[in-house]
Amino acid sequence: MGLNKSRPIYEKLRIDPQGRAHLIVTDLEALPQDTIEANLALSNIEIWVVARIARGIAASPSGSRAFRSVADLLSHLSFHLAREPVGLRLYAAGTEAFLWDVANTARAAGLGKDEIFLTQAGSLRRRVYCTHCKSMNEDAVANIATCRACGARLFVRDHFSRRLAAFMGVMVDAEVPNEIPEIEVIYP
Amino acid sequence: MKARIQNIRSLSATIKHITLAPDAEDSFPAGAAGAFILLEIPGPGRVWKNAYSLVSGAGRRQYEIIVRRVAQSRGGSAWLHDHAEPGQLLEISGPANLFPIARAAQKHLLLSAGIGITPFLSYLPVLQRQNAAFELHHCCKLDEQEVFRPLLPKAPNITLHGSRNSLDLMTLLSAQKLNTHLYVCGPEAFMDVTIAAAKRIGWPDAKIHEESFGGATGGASFIVKLARSAMELHVAEDQTLLEALEDAGLAPPRMCRGGACGVCELPVLGGLPDHHDHYLSAAARAAGKSIMTCVSRAKTPELVLDF
Ligand code: FES
Repeated sequence: MGLNKSRPIYEKLRIDPQGRAHLIVTDLEALPQDTIEANLALSNIEIWVVARIARGIAASPSGSRAFRSVADLLSHLSFHLAREPVGLRLYAAGTEAFLWDVANTARAAGLGKDEIFLTQAGSLRRRVYCTHCKSMNEDAVANIATCRACGARLFVRDHFSRRLAAFMGVMVDAEVPNEIPEIEVIYP
Repeated sequence: MKARIQNIRSLSATIKHITLAPDAEDSFPAGAAGAFILLEIPGPGRVWKNAYSLVSGAGRRQYEIIVRRVAQSRGGSAWLHDHAEPGQLLEISGPANLFPIARAAQKHLLLSAGIGITPFLSYLPVLQRQNAAFELHHCCKLDEQEVFRPLLPKAPNITLHGSRNSLDLMTLLSAQKLNTHLYVCGPEAFMDVTIAAAKRIGWPDAKIHEESFGGATGGASFIVKLARSAMELHVAEDQTLLEALEDAGLAPPRMCRGGACGVCELPVLGGLPDHHDHYLSAAARAAGKSIMTCVSRAKTPELVLDF
């Protein structure tokens, strides 16, 4: 994987002491400890998680909410941000595509750079944007993906679009005619 | 650039509205909402350079400013009140803008006190034209309410407060949503209280916009030693540090002359600066390693600068 300027740099999850209230959202079922720098024992922190497998939420700490899906979480987030008073800091932890879905939702609600913090965690699987038919493909784990909408063989580039919250997938044949690179699983 | 005083109108015993027209050209450079100009004002034995916000977005055929006569005026505002007359020519420069309307803001909360209303007077027509969501709260002394009332359009989102206490700052600030930018303009004490309150409830720095040209009011005299120029100058009570440097024939960096732009910053090698600017961070102020020469002075009888 080559270095690419379009790849954002992520930091460990650290609570901004300037904030009045804090909301952590994640597409994981729990926050991996190694992504957290400071302890979260501060007051006024709420955690939203995505519990894909319905489990008892009884074990979750107070101030936490579980959502059925990422889409469900995002739609509640945009509703919540439109009503929340100034002073909130928003933290997203999870896969890269999720981070930018959250960031884009937050931007639309008027949050600025110093009110949103992104921490990459969990799987490196990629959301791939098919430049051929302009559809999204979730969870690509290899350097080559097949577009579920148009069937194109896509080379998953290292170019990440923050606006689309996805990696660019270009048709393999378009770049190197008749030459398909070996498929390697590189984003476990 | 030369400007001719076209009209002077008293708004009160201490506040005048002055209209300037271009002398040679037919129009001035356009100043966007929040812009200011620098006026060179003749005084006995010296020239004052004061910054004034343009109060109308009207633009290019004329510039309008509002000038309060400062009690311990160093000369500039007193001259404009006592000696300025229509027809006189003045040297002006600008416009420059350190206080533009934030494009990313979905709502604008404008808070001003006293003469700090001036930049917002140029905001209002723009915000109204854009149909932008905004709220203006202007605080003034009870006896100046009738001076400011005619300057403000009648609208439910524009409120005049006849004393600072009638504005419940905390409640107002805490009620704002995440999409709101805050703009503050007024005397130093008003700015300090307002900005501290906003920060206390977690308002992010990038959404707090401030401007104040009230800093350069003079103070105790002191000596400034210039390490690189090998000079020692006396800064008089009614003179700013920047003016002392300029009067000595030096060309120190400067732009707004109001403690806002940060251009005039010089490194301090000795002595304690007395900060009056709105540019340096709290940490930089405390460190005392640099000074904004346009508005700040010295706490010690002597100040040594790396200049
Ligand atoms: S000249 Fe702008 S801060 Fe001093």
